[in-house]
Amino acid sequence: MDRRKALKFTGSMAAAAVAGPSLLTLLQSCKNESRVDWQPQFLTMDEAAFVSKIVDMILPRTETPGALDVKVDIFIDKVYTYLYDTNGQNNVQKEIAKFNDDCRNNYGDAFVSLSESDQIKALQKAEENSGQFGSSVWGTAIGNPEPVGFYRSLKSTALWGYFTSEQIGKNVLNYDPIPGAYHGCLNLDEVGNKWSL
Amino acid sequence: MPNFNIDADSKYTYDAIVIGSGISGGWAAKELCEKGLKTLVLERGPMVEHPKDYTTANLDPWDMELRGGLTPKEQKKHYKAIRSGFIGKDTEHFFANDEENPYTEVKPFLWIRGHQMGGRSLLWGKQTYRWSEMDFEANAKDGHGVDWPIRYKDLEPWYTYVEKFAGISGEALGLPQLPDSHFLPPMEMNCVEKEVKKRIESNFPRRNMIIGRVAHLTQPLNGRGQCQYRNRCSRGCPYGAYFSSNAVTLPAANATGNLTFRPYSIVQSILYDEGKGKASGVRIIDAETNEAIEYKAKIIFCNASTLSTTQILLNSTSNRFPNGMGNDSEELGHNLMDHTYRVGALGKVEGFDDKYYSGRRPNGIYIPRYWNIDESSKTDKFLRGFGYQGGGYRMGNSEAANRKEFGGNYKDSIMKPGPWEFFITGFAECLPYHDNKVYLNKEVTDKWGQPTLSIDCEYKENELAQNKQIQEDAVEMLEKAGVKDVVGFDNEHEPGYGVHEMGTARMGRDPKTSVLNGTNQIHSVKNVFVTDGACMTSNSCVNPSLTYMALTARAANHAVEELKKFNI
Repeated sequence: MDRRKALKFTGSMAAAAVAGPSLLTLLQSCKNESRVDWQPQFLTMDEAAFVSKIVDMILPRTETPGALDVKVDIFIDKVYTYLYDTNGQNNVQKEIAKFNDDCRNNYGDAFVSLSESDQIKALQKAEENSGQFGSSVWGTAIGNPEPVGFYRSLKSTALWGYFTSEQIGKNVLNYDPIPGAYHGCLNLDEVGNKWSL
Repeated sequence: MPNFNIDADSKYTYDAIVIGSGISGGWAAKELCEKGLKTLVLERGPMVEHPKDYTTANLDPWDMELRGGLTPKEQKKHYKAIRSGFIGKDTEHFFANDEENPYTEVKPFLWIRGHQMGGRSLLWGKQTYRWSEMDFEANAKDGHGVDWPIRYKDLEPWYTYVEKFAGISGEALGLPQLPDSHFLPPMEMNCVEKEVKKRIESNFPRRNMIIGRVAHLTQPLNGRGQCQYRNRCSRGCPYGAYFSSNAVTLPAANATGNLTFRPYSIVQSILYDEGKGKASGVRIIDAETNEAIEYKAKIIFCNASTLSTTQILLNSTSNRFPNGMGNDSEELGHNLMDHTYRVGALGKVEGFDDKYYSGRRPNGIYIPRYWNIDESSKTDKFLRGFGYQGGGYRMGNSEAANRKEFGGNYKDSIMKPGPWEFFITGFAECLPYHDNKVYLNKEVTDKWGQPTLSIDCEYKENELAQNKQIQEDAVEMLEKAGVKDVVGFDNEHEPGYGVHEMGTARMGRDPKTSVLNGTNQIHSVKNVFVTDGACMTSNSCVNPSLTYMALTARAANHAVEELKKFNI
């Protein structure tokens, strides 16, 4: 089963039915044969499908693994489950609903059900409307920046999950846990990709 | 290394008790033990033995379930300290529990604490600078606070002494406002820093930009390894490459066989013998069992950290000292200072996109003070001055997240490092004000039922005038240096953010206006020494830890001489 289709499928199933034995059985049966081998802990199946689709569009598989290859969507669900307080969690669900409402108003359907070109338009719009992170010094923002919008925050969490995944951190970026020395002036092409740590 | 003896004996009279095991407590323990004194170190938190208790030292992000994020419960445990921006899953066990150890902010004040063996010596920034003659003369010259009872020359040999053992890397410049240390080789600046240095120094002949002077070994010393450029210092360094009590002074103290180290020992008060007019020991509460125990000693060193030392003294009441031990002057708890923090400028540096670095250098650049150091640098806008820390680096995830792009080309482009950014942020000297103070709060008690501190402190006109200048100068320097999109900033942080809290039991010449004498003894209780930040009479604009080390070694030497002469 194509894993993206599977996500869409299970997502619509979850929306259509309160999770009863039959749905659980179906999910179980998917588990072994598709990418939907995870049960979101905080997100609903619909919301998980939304997150998976967005992170796949931001960080698709190219010559290097994509967000879904390194389970960024599962990580984001964990972040919402364990690192967000109730207010933050409620806000995530509200914002996903709002994103989908906007998609329905502008393009006629929820985000995951749109055509690829409408999905791209929706993300381009989100890029324009989600604010930007201010600069920070030593771990804290400088000045008093406006909080970023939901999409920017989701994208940032996706990058966090992607670059701190073992596969990207160790095998794609430059991984050197014990550099042993500092060299302040190298040609970038001697290094290649950025350092992972 | 032999195991630490943690069995303290309440029947025995120790030669010395040291309260606290952070930077100054570790030095007190080392010096006193090496001079043959049977020494009991009391630490309110758990053991953190080098290197075995550095439990997170080698974890990569993916080794941590939530990649270093803190849960709401963990955030609540550090609900005050978390605003510093320093705490992650890899280090949170070295920050004190704010829920169990409350304090009251009469005015906003951030109090960062480390309640474990080694205290904040595990967490400090390692920037290490000597104070100068002008720092020790400042109060006498402009009339703020009281005069220091010592001068630079009194401390100079002790600076050298502690530097040789601690290991300080840096470059000698011969600047009067920032005397050189006994240096190990300096760390290297990166290409952008070197270029910005050149441009700042050519545009501003009186200003220098130097690599930070730091307590990191750039070559092995006394069996400790050199810095491996992992920049995971706050997790504890398995190589012992940076100076901490855990890796450096406490093992030295332990090697003498004279050290007893008792963890989970909250010092409630220092006991006063009214007959002898001296301190006789301390009363502790065992943090695990709540048992109250008294330990006896001939001399007591207070090294609990600035505000905790003062809290203990305020809580040490007797017929002779109804308002706290040594508080005849009523200055105990007063004259609290910190350095202003997070005021400066940053911007992007172009033309170096093909340049990068390797290694994660736990250090940045430093711009020494340049105002009010002589007649020609005098300003009438403020007294004293400020220095900057800063650095250049290639930007990471937040810059990548800000780009209005997504998809395959975007993903491939963010595999490369982001643009170069360069920043400087100032640290201004704070004047000693009597009404910047702490006092005991009996209404709010800690987990062990003990009174806590209320902190009533604010920056005033002179500090705010300096912050204004810090920002103006920072923007001007960066713009002149060709940095693009320069943004000035002032986060208007409350005191405490600098984590350089000083004062509240100041040294001075006159017992009527100060708590301690020129060798850090309480004027009226000569066998009690205070050598942590509480003793400071002014606060310079440079980082204070090296001065605590030197003052402690000097006071310990004096204590032993006085003991030998039966003077205390």
